[in-house]
Amino acid sequence: MKGFFSNTWKNRAHVVLALPAFLVLLLFAYMSMFGLVIAFKQFDYTKGILGSSWNFPDNFKLLVVNKDKFLTITKNTIMYYFIFTLVGTFLNIVLAISIDQFVFKNAGRVMQTIMIIPVFISYAAVSFVVYAFLSKSPAGIVNGTILPLFGGEIKSFYQKASYWPWILTIVNIWHGVGYGSVLYMSVLAGIDQELYEAAKIDGANKWQQIWNITLPMLVPMVTVMLLLSVGGIMRSDTGLFYTVTRNIANLHSKTQTIDAFVLNQLLNNPNYGLTAATTFFQSVVGLFMMLLSNGIVRKMAPQNSLF
Amino acid sequence: MAKEKMLTNDPEILRMAKKHKKPGPGQYVLFFLLLLYTLFCFLPFLLVVISAFSDESSILKKGFSYFPDAWSMIAMKSVFEYGRQLLVSYGVTIFITVVGTFTGLMLQSMYAYSLTRPDFQLRKLLNIWIIIPMLFQGGMLSAYLIFTGWYHLKDTLIILILPHAVGTMNIIILRTYIANSIPNELNEAAKIDGAGDYRTFFQITLPLMKPSLAAVGFMMATGFWNEWQSALIYIDSKNKKPLQLLLVNIQKNIEMLMNSKDIPPEVMAIMGNKLPGNTITMATVLVVVGPILVVYPFFQKYFIKGLTVGSVKG
Repeated sequence: MKGFFSNTWKNRAHVVLALPAFLVLLLFAYMSMFGLVIAFKQFDYTKGILGSSWNFPDNFKLLVVNKDKFLTITKNTIMYYFIFTLVGTFLNIVLAISIDQFVFKNAGRVMQTIMIIPVFISYAAVSFVVYAFLSKSPAGIVNGTILPLFGGEIKSFYQKASYWPWILTIVNIWHGVGYGSVLYMSVLAGIDQELYEAAKIDGANKWQQIWNITLPMLVPMVTVMLLLSVGGIMRSDTGLFYTVTRNIANLHSKTQTIDAFVLNQLLNNPNYGLTAATTFFQSVVGLFMMLLSNGIVRKMAPQNSLF
Repeated sequence: MAKEKMLTNDPEILRMAKKHKKPGPGQYVLFFLLLLYTLFCFLPFLLVVISAFSDESSILKKGFSYFPDAWSMIAMKSVFEYGRQLLVSYGVTIFITVVGTFTGLMLQSMYAYSLTRPDFQLRKLLNIWIIIPMLFQGGMLSAYLIFTGWYHLKDTLIILILPHAVGTMNIIILRTYIANSIPNELNEAAKIDGAGDYRTFFQITLPLMKPSLAAVGFMMATGFWNEWQSALIYIDSKNKKPLQLLLVNIQKNIEMLMNSKDIPPEVMAIMGNKLPGNTITMATVLVVVGPILVVYPFFQKYFIKGLTVGSVKG
């Protein structure tokens, strides 16, 4: 122990270097974890977090009272996690392999640049682009150009919730697939080209090469990425679920996720008890999933585990 | 795993690509498919540009279109003219982006550096300190109550900067870069030459971290540029509204109308005229998004490198 203190004193310069970031995390990450105690309190803004009285388990009873809402937002959060992860991973791989196999390298580079750009556009801006495609009056591109072309009827996208799982998935693909494929491309770039040469000599065609060499090489990275993403199962991008959907009440049944719900509460005189119980549930389940996924990764591929 | 080199720059592969003298028909099919996907990514941007320069009457009559009946500069002009707020918001966004990115890079690289000192025992605890926030978060509500109730940071620019200035993944990327790409012998040599710990970091290590700083810095800068949620929650005064909040606010008006089903159609029609015109909205989007589109291609190489570096644990 004495060794530890003298070592720390010897390294006091490094302590000083680490201190500012340490404090920022303490003030802005750790303190808000502490703030979760309001899930066990009858929160009163005038009394503050410490002054409010304890009321466990009343807030959690609200989850049962409002179980329709609670189940809907939990179900949506998890459903979109699965859709986005499965569709996204699949397309990331398809795109990475396509660009990898593409012989027109200069054209490929330009295309890749364009494909990555959407990820840098905020959903606040994207929501207007989506609106320009889906609005009814004035007609968006879908209602004004595409549907008439195929003789389809005008659709009120912003009124009907059932369209939105499709719409949000497409927007999510547009936003993230080009970016998501970059990581897989770096794995493909690391594959020894002699493997392909050898396969060619053995008479394997392109598809056989992809199936027997490329895909198996991607499996470890895909597994790790999928497992690590499980930790985020309770989180969602409010940009997509709050702004792109314009937070329209008619769409909530299929579009509101936990984060979108909490944001909506926060901006409109929150029901503190219900919201606090919801965020507490979200944080605890998130922690559990994170530990679980990291545990599995650590067993399978220790070099990729987060901790 | 994961060589840092992108496939497309690899000379050996370029040579192999040349060896295929004639690309087979499959390559042209692939070209066509990739082109389709590229268009899917690109066409929405084109629509923003075209709508921003369309005549409002054309959009009202024909709807949004890639081929408007009439073109007009009015929207762009009025954006730059009604633009006092836009100018202020541009200033706010540039301020939080620049200050946030520099503060963040400084804090995070200092932290990452101390994590890589081999004989520093405290680093184990410091490593755990950054891992825990990744596992467990307090969420928006408790953050809001603490930041406003205790720190009184509502309606300040600090709240848009500091909570986003330090991120676990960024520190891991920087830590990995220092551990893998900057030989510790350099630091040892500097020390033998009489440089103190601070000087070693600021004059030897920090300058050598440039590629990783560029990668992390670009990601942070886009994050700050695009930040809207904190602004929506915390910012009230007009002179502190960043660009993205301006966009969200334009949307709020439309949203309010669409959410209130009780408004009779006649009133809707009257209020409809007061909504920001479609073209003006699109012109605002263009002005907000434009800088990223212009800057991104110059940073792509660093950013791809950073993404790849981050996937390798140190």
